[in-house]
Amino acid sequence: MLRRFHLEEPRSIGEISELLGRFGESAKIYAGGTELLLAMKEGLVQYERLINVKGVQGLNEVANGNGAIKIGALCTHRQLENCPGLQQKLPAFVELEHNVANVRVRQVGTIGGNLCFAEPHADPGILLVALDAKMIAEKASGKREIAAEEFFVDAYETCLEPDELLTAIEVPLPAENSAAAYLKFGYLERPSVGVAVALTLIPAEKSLADIRIGVGCAGPAPKRVPAAEEILRGKSIEEAKREVAKAGEVAGRAADAISDLHGSQEYKEHIVGVLLKRALHSALSQC
Amino acid sequence: MRFEKEVEILAPREKVWKFIWDVDRFIACVPSCKEAKTVEEGKLYSATMVEKVGPFRVEFPTTIEVLEREELKHIKAQASGADNKIGSRMKIELDVNLQERGDKTLLGFVAAVDILGKLAALGHGIIKRKADQVLDEFAQAVKKRLEGEA
Repeated sequence: MLRRFHLEEPRSIGEISELLGRFGESAKIYAGGTELLLAMKEGLVQYERLINVKGVQGLNEVANGNGAIKIGALCTHRQLENCPGLQQKLPAFVELEHNVANVRVRQVGTIGGNLCFAEPHADPGILLVALDAKMIAEKASGKREIAAEEFFVDAYETCLEPDELLTAIEVPLPAENSAAAYLKFGYLERPSVGVAVALTLIPAEKSLADIRIGVGCAGPAPKRVPAAEEILRGKSIEEAKREVAKAGEVAGRAADAISDLHGSQEYKEHIVGVLLKRALHSALSQC
Repeated sequence: MRFEKEVEILAPREKVWKFIWDVDRFIACVPSCKEAKTVEEGKLYSATMVEKVGPFRVEFPTTIEVLEREELKHIKAQASGADNKIGSRMKIELDVNLQERGDKTLLGFVAAVDILGKLAALGHGIIKRKADQVLDEFAQAVKKRLEGEA
């Protein structure tokens, strides 16, 4: 049963930051509530106050500018899976959003809530790491950019300060001859393993100018795997296809996979390799 | 969940053994433990275990019972507690072993941990990882404390 709590209704980011600073751990930001309210109903967490951020204007928009797509933190998954501008520029992200949980969750759950709750078995953070996204965090005294790969600290933990609010995610507009893919594996709605690849080709040379790899769900938090990227970066397409098994082994080991009911550590490490190979092929086929 | 941890301490076995039975100093090395009390010297102790994973906080008032004691070599203990706020229980069976290694002592822990109730919803893997971290920090704190006193 949901216990009684006080609902704050701020109208500005400054007001939210002030409330967070004033009430500390007894208050929590409430956006879609799909994770938070479940945990509260289960009695796993208790807060005296919820700070409803949905009344703040301008945080649920998608806009282009300064070489990036800016996604407001209050955009729901449903909004993002049906956004034509995103479909054109970031089709892999739209496909990911289309497969988040189920339609009821997507209808109310927000991208910002998903990222800030930092549930280990969540999809968006993994692809955002591969896409070199920046998290925009704001508080009363200012604003800062956080690289997606530095945003996630541990299971259920981000690097946000106690009085900070995630307001937007900025994803660089993909360069020409770029593509991305996100693949996941799991038995139920929550994935056991997720792997994302974002790459840029040099068409004349048929080689990989750049590649970024993100892994997650297997371990406590999404992470980038530079050591696996190094194996593939600069390689011809044919070489990359040959070397991807090696990169998969490196990515598997780097995933910090945890043995649990989703599978053993070794099994998850193997799946990382399988998904990396498939994601590479998928991204290459789109260029 | 089963955990095994060993730490080599540059201190004689007698000193390590004495330290283990000095409840206040020993408990100060357990990162998630507060308010430890001796109920019956050498047999029964009480403590409160507090731990946090992201926004999830648990507080287990815990009873620790010493089941076996072999002087300078081995202790077998059982700890159990419940967090009624979140409806979860935990039980730990702990084996502590001491071995002489020249001027050092090898302190080994084997812990079988059972978590029941809503806390288990966090996932076995996350809990195991956290417990592993706690045991690591504890082993290093014991080593630091004893070697610092050498």
